[in-house]
Amino acid sequence: MLRVEELSVCFGGLTAVNKVSLSVGTDEVVGLVGPNGAGKTTLFNAVSGLARPSSGRIIFDSVDVLRAPLHRRAKMGIGRTFQIPQPLHELTVRENLLVAQRFGAGQVDQQKIDEILEFTNLAPKGDREAAKELALTELKALEVAKALATNPKLLMLDEVLAGLETSGKRRFMAMLKELHQKFAVGILIIEHDIETISNLCQRVVVLNFGKLIADGAPDQVFRDPEVIKSYTGADHAGSR
Amino acid sequence: MKTNASIWVLLLVAYGAIPLTLGSNHYVMSLLVAALVIGGIALAWALLGNLGGMVSFGHSAFFGVGAYVSALLTLKAGTPIVIAMLLGGVGALLASLVMLPVLRLRGPYFALAILAYAHIFKIIATEWTAVTGGSAGLSSIPRFPTAFGFDFSGKVGSYLIILSVVLIFALCYRLIRASDYGIALRAMHDSEDATRVIGVNSVLLKALMLFVSAFMTGVIGAFNAHYINFLEPDYAFNGLWVTLPIVAAIFGGYRTILGPLIGAVTVYLIDQLVFKSLIPYGHQLILGALLVAMILFSPSGLVPLLRASVRRNHAAG
Amino acid sequence: MLELILQALFSGVLQGGSYALIALGLALVFGTMKVINLAHGELVLLAAYIAYTVESSLGVNPVFAIPLALLIVCAAAVLVYFLVDLIRQDRELNSLLLTYGIAIILTNAIQLIWSADIRSTGSAWFQEPVVIGPLYSMRSELVFFVVSLALMTGLWWWLSRSWYGRAVRAVSSQRDAAKLMGVNPRKTELVSFIVASILASFAGVALFSYGVIQPSYGHVLTVKAFIITVLAGMGSIPGVLVGALLLGVTEALTVTLASSALQELAGMCLFLLVLFVMPNGLFGAAGRRG
Repeated sequence: MLRVEELSVCFGGLTAVNKVSLSVGTDEVVGLVGPNGAGKTTLFNAVSGLARPSSGRIIFDSVDVLRAPLHRRAKMGIGRTFQIPQPLHELTVRENLLVAQRFGAGQVDQQKIDEILEFTNLAPKGDREAAKELALTELKALEVAKALATNPKLLMLDEVLAGLETSGKRRFMAMLKELHQKFAVGILIIEHDIETISNLCQRVVVLNFGKLIADGAPDQVFRDPEVIKSYTGADHAGSR
Repeated sequence: MKTNASIWVLLLVAYGAIPLTLGSNHYVMSLLVAALVIGGIALAWALLGNLGGMVSFGHSAFFGVGAYVSALLTLKAGTPIVIAMLLGGVGALLASLVMLPVLRLRGPYFALAILAYAHIFKIIATEWTAVTGGSAGLSSIPRFPTAFGFDFSGKVGSYLIILSVVLIFALCYRLIRASDYGIALRAMHDSEDATRVIGVNSVLLKALMLFVSAFMTGVIGAFNAHYINFLEPDYAFNGLWVTLPIVAAIFGGYRTILGPLIGAVTVYLIDQLVFKSLIPYGHQLILGALLVAMILFSPSGLVPLLRASVRRNHAAG
Repeated sequence: MLELILQALFSGVLQGGSYALIALGLALVFGTMKVINLAHGELVLLAAYIAYTVESSLGVNPVFAIPLALLIVCAAAVLVYFLVDLIRQDRELNSLLLTYGIAIILTNAIQLIWSADIRSTGSAWFQEPVVIGPLYSMRSELVFFVVSLALMTGLWWWLSRSWYGRAVRAVSSQRDAAKLMGVNPRKTELVSFIVASILASFAGVALFSYGVIQPSYGHVLTVKAFIITVLAGMGSIPGVLVGALLLGVTEALTVTLASSALQELAGMCLFLLVLFVMPNGLFGAAGRRG
């Protein structure tokens, strides 16, 4: 469904994503891992349309979307969340989903909204103002709910578990596991925690310094010495 | 319930009490008409600012284009005034088309670019003598006709026209704000990227708001041309047509619908009755100071401030 | 004909010098503070009127007004800075409205103090013609063109060599990173305001020395400075200089070949053309698009 070919993204002199090729199928859950600054979020930005690639191709549902504007990609079925939740300010939780559905999916379907709210455990907060009255777990859930409301075929999740405490994380994990089946979406997920990835994904892709260094089943990839090296290196960098 | 009642009272005063009691006082009526003209522009300006998130310093261009289009259509083609006024709005809308590439620029760039655009139209009006009459201007622009046995060319008639136009615009504003588009635009205010990734075409929505705002301003400009029967570039494209509405909208609260209107009536009357007598030439200096003070001390305007204090009093009582 | 065109090119280039100073000030403040100072043109005009007062009351060459202009314009700019700094919410939009208000105050204050009449220099020394081959200019034009180049070189040196200059550049490109490196962004913002007003003072005196001034001109100058930054992209000093020369030349050619009334229109058309065809400016600065 999503095929990225030889994609590069440059900022000034810096190549954040360097000739990366990868694919995600409709029935797949793919993990995207790598140390900080490896270009994971930039790759998300390029696919969703926030960053302009300098070369390469992005093919979604056999259409080249490289030059398509953000909103059109959303309508085609590319949904994403932001690492730092970006609730739509001044709107209630329900209105957040309403806007996503009206503009992303094309029509309003209250029943579907109820279903998504129920699924993301946001039903009791439906009429609260999103930006002001939600806790972090709920904001993260809203990110997912908003993306779901656009009726995506591909859902790109950017560190949705980061910053959550243990019980919240467990509930969120349960939700993510169901997500793929229930809403029939392919998922590409950025996550640091190897256990989470192994638990969720059939396949994992590793980026380091903007380059793709591994692509395969989790238990294989995480035994790859190059991957281990990039990871331990990142841990040192992170603890400094 | 309560707001509805007060709106009906306001309408009754505006349509009944004011024309009946003050109708014969030409000076007061002309002040009110001018205040409503400013209020109409302020409303259109605030719509663009509040929903579109854009600060415009170029609304005088829309005002002037609307005025000239309507005046020329009635003078040279004999178009009926009502249609000419609407076409004046359309003309302003077309003028705003030129600004489309600017919409893709970020906040400060948009504000400055639109300021630059406003100059262009003034120069065209001055230099395109064959059509616009150049700096000599256009005179004997047709007045409002007599309809239903009522002479609309007088002060009271003009007052009723501009009042209705402004109220219809306020209603349109309200409808837009409550629509799906309005909700999406409100969402865009703080997180444009987040709104775009869920499928909202932000540039298109902003462009629509610019069109609506330009159209409204154009119609107001057209009204003014037929009201005063005379146009010249320095007058029609004067910076005051944007300065006063900005001060009015900020004063009243540009995120509300009635704020700009209330602000316009208040600011314009104070300006004419107080500031002007203090400093006959250069009384805008005080308007500038007022704008600075509002931005520093109460950027959301007086109407929200008053509303909050009323609510507090209610809670206390 | 060719001679006329050459002459127009020459005059346009000379005029471009002061334009560049004004545009650089605008760009500098925008760089550090992300604030467009809509009162910038009025500050330039203030300097021009100070030059007029010094010339007409003391009977000396307007150049001697520069120290006084520097003092007053810098003070005014610092005041603008502190007012902008007081804004607590939504600074990007509110600073526009605030500086717009300040611009209105300044324009009207200038009109109250100096009246709406058009003023120009009476200095014979400055109006003396200088002839270089087929080209003609007033002495003031040449003098101030050289001064502009010198100031720009100075600015370039300052930005690239001095500690404060580097801090200004650091804050412009990476505000948070600059903070981590121990740069106080507020101090650099203030410094950029002051440097901008120094450039504005010289530009103001220059404008008075070879042209006419009137209260509404400040607004026009702000627009011109903005057009130049659009042409150049806010980025570099050479870029702004080229943008300014381009605007100066375009205006001069329009005056020569068409009419002086169309002078501003030509600048606008240039601006439109660049916006449509090269939305990132002639020298491609990123980050302008929303």
